[in-house]
Amino acid sequence: MSEVDPNFMHEVANTPRGKGVLTCIQCGRCTSSCPVARFLTEHNPRRLMEMIILGFRPDVLHRLPWYCLSCFTCLDRCPQRGDVGEVVFAIRSLAAREGDVPEGVVEQAKNLFETGRLVPTAEFMLRQRKNLGLPEVSTSSKDAETIMRRTGFDKMMAKARGERSKVRK
Amino acid sequence: MARAHTKNSVLVIGGGIAGIQASLELADKGLKVYLIEKSPSIGGRMAQLEKVFPVTDCSKDCVGTCWLCVLMPRMIECYRHPNVKLLTYAEVKKAEGKIGNFTVNVVQYPRYVKDKCVNCGVCVEKCPVKVPNEFEMGLKDRKAIYTPFPQAIPNIVTIDAENCLHFKKEGCSICEEVCEAKAINYSEKPEQLTLNVGAIIVATGFDLFDPSQIPAFGYGKFKNVLTAMELERLLSPFGPTEGRLLRPSDGKEPESVAFILCVGSRDRRFYSYCSSICCKYSLKMAVSIKQRNPKKEVYLFYTDLRAFGKGFQEFANEAKKIYGVKYIRSNPGELLEDSATRDIKIWYEDTMSRSVQNLTANLVVLCNACIPREGTNELAKVLGIELDNFGFVKQLDEITHPVDTTVPGIFAAGYALGPRTGDIPDSITQASAAVERVFEVLHSRKEE
Amino acid sequence: MKYALFLGCLISAREPSYELYARKVMPHFGIELVDMPETTCCAPFSIQSLDYIGWLAMAARNLAIAEEMELPVLAFCNDCYESLLMTSIILRDDQELRSKVNKVLSEVGKEYKGKVKVKHVLEVLQQDIGVKKIKDSVKRPLTELKIATQTGCHAVRPKMIHPTLAVSLETLDELVKAMGAKTVNYDKKEVCCGGPLRGVNDEISRQLTRQKLRGMKEAGANCVATVCPFCFIQFDLGQLEIKRAFGEEYNLPVFHFIELLSLASGLEIKDWKMRDHRIPVDPIYEKIMGR
Repeated sequence: MSEVDPNFMHEVANTPRGKGVLTCIQCGRCTSSCPVARFLTEHNPRRLMEMIILGFRPDVLHRLPWYCLSCFTCLDRCPQRGDVGEVVFAIRSLAAREGDVPEGVVEQAKNLFETGRLVPTAEFMLRQRKNLGLPEVSTSSKDAETIMRRTGFDKMMAKARGERSKVRK
Repeated sequence: MARAHTKNSVLVIGGGIAGIQASLELADKGLKVYLIEKSPSIGGRMAQLEKVFPVTDCSKDCVGTCWLCVLMPRMIECYRHPNVKLLTYAEVKKAEGKIGNFTVNVVQYPRYVKDKCVNCGVCVEKCPVKVPNEFEMGLKDRKAIYTPFPQAIPNIVTIDAENCLHFKKEGCSICEEVCEAKAINYSEKPEQLTLNVGAIIVATGFDLFDPSQIPAFGYGKFKNVLTAMELERLLSPFGPTEGRLLRPSDGKEPESVAFILCVGSRDRRFYSYCSSICCKYSLKMAVSIKQRNPKKEVYLFYTDLRAFGKGFQEFANEAKKIYGVKYIRSNPGELLEDSATRDIKIWYEDTMSRSVQNLTANLVVLCNACIPREGTNELAKVLGIELDNFGFVKQLDEITHPVDTTVPGIFAAGYALGPRTGDIPDSITQASAAVERVFEVLHSRKEE
Repeated sequence: MKYALFLGCLISAREPSYELYARKVMPHFGIELVDMPETTCCAPFSIQSLDYIGWLAMAARNLAIAEEMELPVLAFCNDCYESLLMTSIILRDDQELRSKVNKVLSEVGKEYKGKVKVKHVLEVLQQDIGVKKIKDSVKRPLTELKIATQTGCHAVRPKMIHPTLAVSLETLDELVKAMGAKTVNYDKKEVCCGGPLRGVNDEISRQLTRQKLRGMKEAGANCVATVCPFCFIQFDLGQLEIKRAFGEEYNLPVFHFIELLSLASGLEIKDWKMRDHRIPVDPIYEKIMGR
């Protein structure tokens, strides 16, 4: 069992999108509604909130937050604005600051940094678009890069590449 | 009866247990009471219940006392008491004045039935119109001429003019033709009454949250998902199934029943307070079902089991150990219906074992929030009293003046004040308190 | 009606059929689509997970472009819609946050004043155009189609972000019914397709799609209609992946609902025949075209 951090709950509550952790009453409706929880015992939104409240920082930040689909079913049903679907974003950003991000997400961030798009347009597709009379894809990879540099993405990604992601594939 | 001085007369608004208790206490002390009730009969929510906990005089093995034993004698006493003037099917329309001297305008809606009605029931039998019966929570129909329930007080019929064919100009006068007592009088008009009273007690009770606002629970779509009050009607011997627990889809007895607590209560999307009586009454009904047939599976889905007060925690423990009621600490996510059997599948996470599971029950009961009565806003405007932010009657001070409203001389009791541990003994206690306050202010030397 | 067109990365990079038909059918109904210059990705959930201000800045940059154009934004992809909508609502009300974001945006020469409206294609079709007009303009009724609709999560949830709930789970059904098709009520209709876990946890992603396909097949659907390009990939390419992983075949052709709208309204893009599709759409396509 890892060490307990009594301040963790407040750290999450003060992270953007994390304040719901203060009002959770552990009723279990979120897990009862979650489509992933029905397949995977490891993903349990209520338990996630419980672990944040109890202060199990390492357990929460590594591996656990990345199963969430962000389908927001839990958000619609939570009676106390615990809003675990939002809190997930808060703990993910905390994990990202420590460089703990799954491969797939790092890949997407890299694309965004280099091309301004999440998914790059392949050569053959650019040709096909031209043949079909579709306008050129107009983007600004420079602006995307600037924004990401300014908000610290580049450091985050470097750190993520340096550390192994602990997400099981 | 001697002409009542304003200082010796009181208006009680609402004919439920709190209103009835207050009326009887005031009347016994020699004051003249006007007990006004919007529906055709007094009795209120308590008359809709099967039993009330805990058991008092009856068989010690039973979970509770039938409402008849507790409420009926009081209802009859209200009717007979020389100091109580019962005004049913009537409503307060205007109020002026101040403490010690209120002038209240009341409208008495026409029943179109004279007092000589003996409730023989022939007109009800012959009436061709059927509409859902509000008292039965819509589970059974009534006629356009009706009594809401057999033990209604006053025990005469009423014609619901909105649904009556005679008043819709379709030429029906069957009830007049068959009435041997010649009690039908279609030409009755609404009557305006002016009452002069020294004090007013508001005891208008509660309504129930509509669970179809939570689509995931399927209320209104799935036949075998009911509210707690609807279950009370099914369990009640005077109800639509004469006390047999039969489920709506096929009329068969359910072998498994699941209660879901906190439906609309403790929910910031709807009513963020705890309704305070649901944990208690669901235990009562769960055990009542088990006592009828111990083989039935009964589940209770709860977040916190709030069984506070004398005897309730012991009862909660007994329900589990002795009667075999199964507690599951979970607020279910969704209910699904099996289209063939109409059974209900409940998806939930058992927060104790931390596993997501599902359970199929033949019948699901939603313990929905108790909310302010419809019409409370209007009544508050008429009386000039303030409401709290949920729409219940606001107390002058929650600690020191719990039955005073914000207008001197106007008091309140029962669930009209909101979920202040609002079960029946509490309503009776508050009614007594309101009566004492009435006395204090009417007969004190200083004007408040 | 004029809108600033925000198609998003996935449609322009992977689904030219979607784009082609969208650009054709919207003007047909009187909706002019104006291209936005130099947009970037909307910053969907994977990017939102990394940094709050980073997300808001990336999304707000796109909103700022629309603000310069003085047009509301029309989104086709659910993820783009949700990201831009949430950003527009958060920055509309929170001035302090907006100045923080604008500090970042000033580095790329942009400023967002907080006034842009973001709309979803289903919302525009139902409210700006109306179900009746769509019904009246049907030239090729889709009578042979029994459609399992997939509206997708982010067009309808969370309700608190969409307080007036512009789109509900019934909207898409209403629109396809107006085109003459039948819809089926299948098990788990409102549940997520599993798209967001693609590339992160493929096993679960596939299981979620698979349970929906099973329900669709059991309910008697003969095709699927999607709105979001992610959902499209999950159901279309996903059927091949599921076949490989589980040995199950569903044979359900998947259409972008915008394709169905176009065909039903009498439009056709010659020699095109919906090349986005991995599961063959020919039989149904021929039926619609009346051949």
